[in-house]
Amino acid sequence: MPGPGLIEDYRAAVSGQLPASIVDELADGLAETYRSYLDQGLDPDAAAGAAVAEFGEPALVVATFTRASPARRAARRLLMTGPVVGACWGAVLVAGRAWTWPVPAAARVLLGMTLAGAIVLLAVAALLPRYRPARRAATAACAGLAAMDAAAIAAVTVLARYAPLPVLLAVPASAARIAFTTRAMRSVLRP
Amino acid sequence: MRAEELKGHLDALLLAALEGGPRHGYAVMEALRQATDGRLDLPTGTIYPALHRLADAGLISGSWSVVAGRRRRVYQLTGAGRRALAGKRADWRDFAAVISAALEGSPCPDPA
Repeated sequence: MPGPGLIEDYRAAVSGQLPASIVDELADGLAETYRSYLDQGLDPDAAAGAAVAEFGEPALVVATFTRASPARRAARRLLMTGPVVGACWGAVLVAGRAWTWPVPAAARVLLGMTLAGAIVLLAVAALLPRYRPARRAATAACAGLAAMDAAAIAAVTVLARYAPLPVLLAVPASAARIAFTTRAMRSVLRP
Repeated sequence: MRAEELKGHLDALLLAALEGGPRHGYAVMEALRQATDGRLDLPTGTIYPALHRLADAGLISGSWSVVAGRRRRVYQLTGAGRRALAGKRADWRDFAAVISAALEGSPCPDPA
């Protein structure tokens, strides 16, 4: 039976690359396309070929899903807004003469690696033309940024009396980013 | 009319196709074809990502059912989607009137 076989082939081609719910939806749409060609009088082989031609090759459909994915949108927004949040905290560090703070070297290295890792993961999520890896990268980056923002807010809360004035900008900026990354993770991980 | 020519207008077309009631992805494409006498040349598979994007934006909502043993997602307009469609229609009328005035010498509409 060329029709169902075709649909299964198509499903197999996209199932490793897209979430199961999207695969089910595409398979239903392809089956409807195939049925409509049968209704027009095409034989099963011709109907199967016409259905795939009309639906679009699996690679094209996967690429279109990836471009429109919540992971890519979240990553791009975070990459665009990241410099603003970073500038706010940079002002805090400069105004507070952060180089004189007794912060252990390991903590500085951990902070720097988390930030650099998050930026790399966001770039991967924003540019990689593959849906699942982009989703994983965006989720990890969101979690890392949320943890960093939470840690920064906790630190200035504990040290409030020493915190310089720019924290009045930096804390709301980080709080807004925590809210965004939390919403983004829910959207990105939706099955 | 090819996909690249529809850039920027696809969202409005999909919202309009759902204005008459809930539809699944293929039915949305069929509605667009019927409305345009088959002149839209868009790979059917590529409208699904656009539908997901509209659902993420809260302009449409999706619900699942089982038809002929297959899972089917059916979309319908939300209140925000109806408002967005009305806005896009108004924008399109303005845009079309201005471009027509430039290309064909028809009267240019007064700015609202």
